[in-house]
Amino acid sequence: MANSVSGGQGGGGGGPYNYSYIFKYIIIGDMGVGKSCLLHQFTEKKFMADCPHTIGVEFGTRIIEVCGQKIKLQIWDTAGQERFRAVTRSYYRGAAGALMVYDITRRSTYNHLSSWLTDARNLTNPNTVIYLIGNKSDLEAQRDVTYDEAKMFAEENGLMFIEASAKTGENVEEAFLETAKKIYQNIQDGSLDLNAAESGVQHKPASGAAGGQLPHRLGGGDSGGNKSDCAC
Amino acid sequence: MSLFYVSDCILRDSLAMDATPVVARERVSRQMAMHEEQYTDLKPFRIFIGSWNVNGQSASVSLGEYWLASDPTPPDIYAIGFQELDLSKEAFLFNETPREEEWLQACVHGLHPNATYVKIKLVRLIGMMLIVFIKKELEEYVTNVAAETVGTGVLGKMGNKGGVSVRFDFHNTSICFVNCHLAAHVEEFERRNQDYHDICNRMVFNQFKPPKFIKDHDQIYWFGDLNYRLTDLSTDSVIKLLEAKEYHLLLQHDQLKIQHNAMKVFVGFNEGEIRHKPTYKYDPGTDNWDSSEKNRPPAWCDRVLWRGGPMKLIQYRSHPKLKISDHKPVSALFDASIKVVDSIKYRKLYENVMKKLDYLENEFLPQVAVDKMEISFGSLSFRDCVTEFLTIANTGQVPVKFEFIKKPNHDSYCKEWLQIKPYTRMLMPGEKLDVELEVCVDIISASKLNAGIEKLYDILVLHLDGGKDLFITVSGTYKRSCFGCSINALTRMKLPVREISDQMFQDLQQNKNLEDYPQCWSIPKELWILVDQIFKFGMLQEDLFQQTGLHSEFQCIRDTLDSQFTEKLSGSVHSIAEALLLFLEALAEPVVPFNFYHRALESSNNFILCKQIISEINESHRHVFYHLIAFMRELLTHSNYNKLEQKLLATVFGEVMLRQSPEDQKSKTISVAAKQSTERKKQAFIHHFLINDFDV
Repeated sequence: MANSVSGGQGGGGGGPYNYSYIFKYIIIGDMGVGKSCLLHQFTEKKFMADCPHTIGVEFGTRIIEVCGQKIKLQIWDTAGQERFRAVTRSYYRGAAGALMVYDITRRSTYNHLSSWLTDARNLTNPNTVIYLIGNKSDLEAQRDVTYDEAKMFAEENGLMFIEASAKTGENVEEAFLETAKKIYQNIQDGSLDLNAAESGVQHKPASGAAGGQLPHRLGGGDSGGNKSDCAC
Repeated sequence: MSLFYVSDCILRDSLAMDATPVVARERVSRQMAMHEEQYTDLKPFRIFIGSWNVNGQSASVSLGEYWLASDPTPPDIYAIGFQELDLSKEAFLFNETPREEEWLQACVHGLHPNATYVKIKLVRLIGMMLIVFIKKELEEYVTNVAAETVGTGVLGKMGNKGGVSVRFDFHNTSICFVNCHLAAHVEEFERRNQDYHDICNRMVFNQFKPPKFIKDHDQIYWFGDLNYRLTDLSTDSVIKLLEAKEYHLLLQHDQLKIQHNAMKVFVGFNEGEIRHKPTYKYDPGTDNWDSSEKNRPPAWCDRVLWRGGPMKLIQYRSHPKLKISDHKPVSALFDASIKVVDSIKYRKLYENVMKKLDYLENEFLPQVAVDKMEISFGSLSFRDCVTEFLTIANTGQVPVKFEFIKKPNHDSYCKEWLQIKPYTRMLMPGEKLDVELEVCVDIISASKLNAGIEKLYDILVLHLDGGKDLFITVSGTYKRSCFGCSINALTRMKLPVREISDQMFQDLQQNKNLEDYPQCWSIPKELWILVDQIFKFGMLQEDLFQQTGLHSEFQCIRDTLDSQFTEKLSGSVHSIAEALLLFLEALAEPVVPFNFYHRALESSNNFILCKQIISEINESHRHVFYHLIAFMRELLTHSNYNKLEQKLLATVFGEVMLRQSPEDQKSKTISVAAKQSTERKKQAFIHHFLINDFDV
């Protein structure tokens, strides 16, 4: 019986707006690499031209769907200026995902990655998923860091890696979603302990209050395009 | 699109009512369910309903050609009901019968040959059985399958009469099939009505929350041996009318039609036009009307009704070629409109709504604007205070609680030289507030600033409850001062503090490379000047050390001491006297050093021990101590004029010359009595040196 999808008219599972998990993300990297633009592109699906430097920590949220699970992402976008580094370090704690961003047109931002990585490793828990993003992939002519060397850096350090463009939106969605997918897999295979204080994940049991009234098939994730990118 | 408008309003409303975004989202989900038509299309599917009272016969006939597969096009769904499947006692008592499998197989083999079917569900209560099949390729669109039975027979609950039901969701349409066998006998039509109502009331699918009843379905197909008869007509007259094909006249006597029209039963249900002969009662194996003694009149006992839709009845008929029973099977063929979710439309709608919701949730995050991210306090020195204002405006759509929060490993949300008023407050949308930030370099921070271990620089974290954080940078330039320096450092500075190199100043404050900076004064020159000024101009002044000076005069005295060594300080004697006390109080290490403090208090009742302590302290401190004692004794010689007393001087100077280290102070809370006792001990310590003769 093809009755594998929970929810639907039978009640029980939730509608599309009930999420089961909250994941905390941080976005780190040098000033001007486009951290806030990536966040904006992800939450608003728009490019923010003339984005002012972030002086503080911006906050964004979006509900996504991974492996049929609805997950609320809480994203903390940190100031990249060196003088704020000491303060922004305090935001790493309890992050389930860290998006570490550099600018493919500015080598210095790439050279500083090891310092960002050290912070990320020291200040988060061992299961925090660190995703390396080479931003501004639309500016191919000004490229200063090759894909291959960044890929190698990522592999050497066990990071996931993608080149993206906050301007065109290319691969932005992928970076955020794949991070969530990896975190979700860590939960599934038990390597991420939800009860640990700093897992960066909150479990929100489905209330069922709004269940049973929505079409289950599509909300459940087996519609058209979304199925293929889920391997679990 | 109207949906977005609706969801938008609801979100704003619920946010305005202070509901959380999550609650708002759930409300929207209900709205979305109501707008199902925006993302579903109606598509026709063919449904075959069959019903046959088999009179306990075994399944010895082929069902395909003459019943289940008698149409050219294969149906999408079959719902086949049987009654009187088994009339044996065993079936009645134990609900066990070999007939179930027999008739199931007969059905399976009789299904339309041009399609492959799978069984969704089989349910049986004694002689009543219902089997639902669907085309194999459609199986994946079937969910939430459930079956239930209701007995209305003997005692109103036994299963020789009653109904069996299967329900499921097909695409987005809920469907319920009911196969029933209602009470027999011509006169029992009210009993049949009652059976119908009992089935409606008691057929409950409890696995759903809330539980589902038959009426809770988009489409209901109700069929079986309903057992309604023709009334008020003799068998002969019925047969005569049948031969004349006067079905219309006959049906006026049909109990079901009569009861249905009277709204006694099957309210809201439809039935197709009957164009077939009555399906009861035949001599088994023939098409002949009942020839037994009872000679029952023919009747349309076997019926198919439906409710809901939209749907189109294609066929409603009997199948007389199947003759083994005293009933003929019936069937109805429907083209039922099923709500099929358009995946592209749905996805688009879903994503748009989600995007909108995310957008709104982000939009409804607390937002503020501040007039500046960096606040400069200019140049400050010891005891200077500067106030700046930071304007915080709530530019968002929700009330905001802002708060300056502590950074990790910090004791407070700001440094000790800064005060923020108010540091937290609720702001309504559109509201503005000027927050006052005041920098004051007091005694505690002066020595740290002089030593370079502290700077007039900090990053404040302005936190919005439930939202982002802003970093406000505060900074100022500290003009170093002899106030807050150590005796040791000052005695090694030949020039005023602002004249010497940064390197030397830092080194001296941190006691580094002292060998490079030989001592050039026995006591700090600044101290000498302050004492000298009072000595020259204030020995006869009344209320000395008791009247406060002017702050502007103090600033002037401070700046003079820090930039030049002068013969004459401007300002009143009172201001100079106060500057002297502040100088002593601000010393990085007090005249009686911190590590002698507790011993000094303990020894305060014994002059010998007090002298012993002074002989042990660092030489420059000892020089300062005796210089001050000599100065006080000199003042006392003029007590006729200045009215000073030993005890007063001992109290005033004891307080600033004997000080507890700041770390020490933090750890304890002191009672008033203990404080007074400490003050007395400090006074006593100094007092010894004012009244006793001693050798320096």
